[in-house]
Amino acid sequence: MIQTIGLQKRFGAKVAVAGVSFEAADGMVTGLLGPNGAGKTTTLRMLYTLLAPDAGQALVDGHDAALAPAEVRRRIGVLPDARGLYPRLTPREHVRYFGRLHGLSGRALEARVDGLIELLDIAELADRRVEGFSNGERVKVALARALVHAPRNVLLDEPTNGLDVMSTRGLREVIRRLRDQGRCVLFSSHVMQEVAALCDRVVIVDRGRVTLEGTPDELKAATGCESLEDAFVAAVGRAEGEP
Amino acid sequence: MMRVVFAKEVRDNLRDRRSILSAMIYPVIGPLVLGLTLALVAEWQRTDKPVELPVVGVERAPSLVTFLEQNGVKLLPAPADPEAAVREGEAKAVLLVPESYPEDFRAGRPARLQLLVDESRNSARAANQKAQRLLTAYGSQVGAQRLLVRGINPELVSALVVERVDLATPGKLAASLLTMLPLFLLMATFVGGMHVAIDATAGERERGSFEPLLINPVSRWDLVAGKWAATLVFSSAVVGFTLVGFVVMSRFVSLGALGVELHFGLGEVGGILAASLPLALLAGALQMLVATFARSFKEAQTYLSLLLFAPMLPGIALGLVTVQPQAWMMAVPGIAQQLLVTELIAGESPPALWYLLAVASSALLSAVCLAVTARLFTREAIVFGRSS
Repeated sequence: MIQTIGLQKRFGAKVAVAGVSFEAADGMVTGLLGPNGAGKTTTLRMLYTLLAPDAGQALVDGHDAALAPAEVRRRIGVLPDARGLYPRLTPREHVRYFGRLHGLSGRALEARVDGLIELLDIAELADRRVEGFSNGERVKVALARALVHAPRNVLLDEPTNGLDVMSTRGLREVIRRLRDQGRCVLFSSHVMQEVAALCDRVVIVDRGRVTLEGTPDELKAATGCESLEDAFVAAVGRAEGEP
Repeated sequence: MMRVVFAKEVRDNLRDRRSILSAMIYPVIGPLVLGLTLALVAEWQRTDKPVELPVVGVERAPSLVTFLEQNGVKLLPAPADPEAAVREGEAKAVLLVPESYPEDFRAGRPARLQLLVDESRNSARAANQKAQRLLTAYGSQVGAQRLLVRGINPELVSALVVERVDLATPGKLAASLLTMLPLFLLMATFVGGMHVAIDATAGERERGSFEPLLINPVSRWDLVAGKWAATLVFSSAVVGFTLVGFVVMSRFVSLGALGVELHFGLGEVGGILAASLPLALLAGALQMLVATFARSFKEAQTYLSLLLFAPMLPGIALGLVTVQPQAWMMAVPGIAQQLLVTELIAGESPPALWYLLAVASSALLSAVCLAVTARLFTREAIVFGRSS
């Protein structure tokens, strides 16, 4: 379970996150939806312990990311904004490396690696160096290494960015499976269709604040809109691209 | 955890053909350059070759000419333009016998001779000194004869007899010629791990793999220590290969012609490794610290190429002035290794305390660099790059 309470972060004079509070429950896909620069990535970075909040709390399974980062890191699998790979290593080696960093080894590790290669459908690529992989293939490898320790909580920062239709479909399937396994999946996106297709709950963020939160139906009801897209525009209070 | 990071970095970097190649070229270049230089110096220094001396106005000084020929000087016909010949290096020296010489000589006045030389030309120095020495000897001999003719004991004129006793052992001489050798070895400690240090820090961030790595439940210290240990593998390998290169070189270049000896037994090789390898500790730690600050791979490369000269600075200074090694110098990384290696190849055996001091000073400074780097790994500006 993921929870933020009054989370705040500023960079110099610029306020990136101005008091974000929301919850993402286990067994659900929660979408963090908002225009570019709304503070989604900054919020996630505070949750995955690499940014320290100026105020408020980022909690994972009740552990404060700022106070107990090691505990939180054990409980999360993250596909961050930067998802670079090591060009000279194979997908299998990537997953193995992160597995070892999580303290896995031996047969247990190999079983996890094989399972993820199957889940993400990268068996054919598994032993080739990742140099020259397509965007979709790279995201799969990055996701596989993030899931190697079977984390209860999965954080995905714009996971479908730069993916083609087929890769996006495959990724959605993986996300649903993670949810069905009872994990807490939190992902950020600025693409409405993405969120509508996948999310059990939506948290709309704009200019560092949560403007609306609920199931897609609740959002439509709250804004009196027919479609989620209209609800989004209503919640943000302006069409995208307008200041 | 540190071992996991170490193993990954070593495997990853061993697959980097370009960095392996550049690391392998270095151990060949160093010994090759030094070997050729030494061979060249040996050629210049060969003393058994007759001194060749073109003379202008041979016919004016027949007895001088006989004296020079008796002493192994080969007299050559004078070139058309003696000054140009010396300046261009066609002749090492030219002796000019002025027209006034016979008359002055006969009258017992100091007879002027001119020896044209170019002091900036190293290759001519030995020959010139010999020519100078012979001319002075001839002058003294003639002067003594004149005094005898006048019934005066020539010894009266020699108030002093200075005997030069050269105490430099052949080994010491070799060491002074071979100051370049420790320099190459010290550079090797910096060259070997440089690429790994960049790849593990600035490179990691540039390709976007730093952020995912840091989200793992691994202490920053384990990450830094593992990466650092990987740089040591590569720098030690390059130091080792460079040393092998020098041993091979010493078998090919006949240093005997220089009148010097180069000690390269098993004991010396072990000692040189023990002396130079501790600098690799510091090299890796320092390079990682600097590369962590750099904004990009390219920027890190620029900084670290400049840093390559750091171990050379004390070496160059020591090449210019002769320093008697003392214990406190062993606490200064760079200088310590340079002095220790110099002593070793000169056939000396430095006290164990010196080794200890040299290791301790490098290790201590490395620890400081690593601790600072581990702190930097938690800084937001470093983790995400300074642009965001």
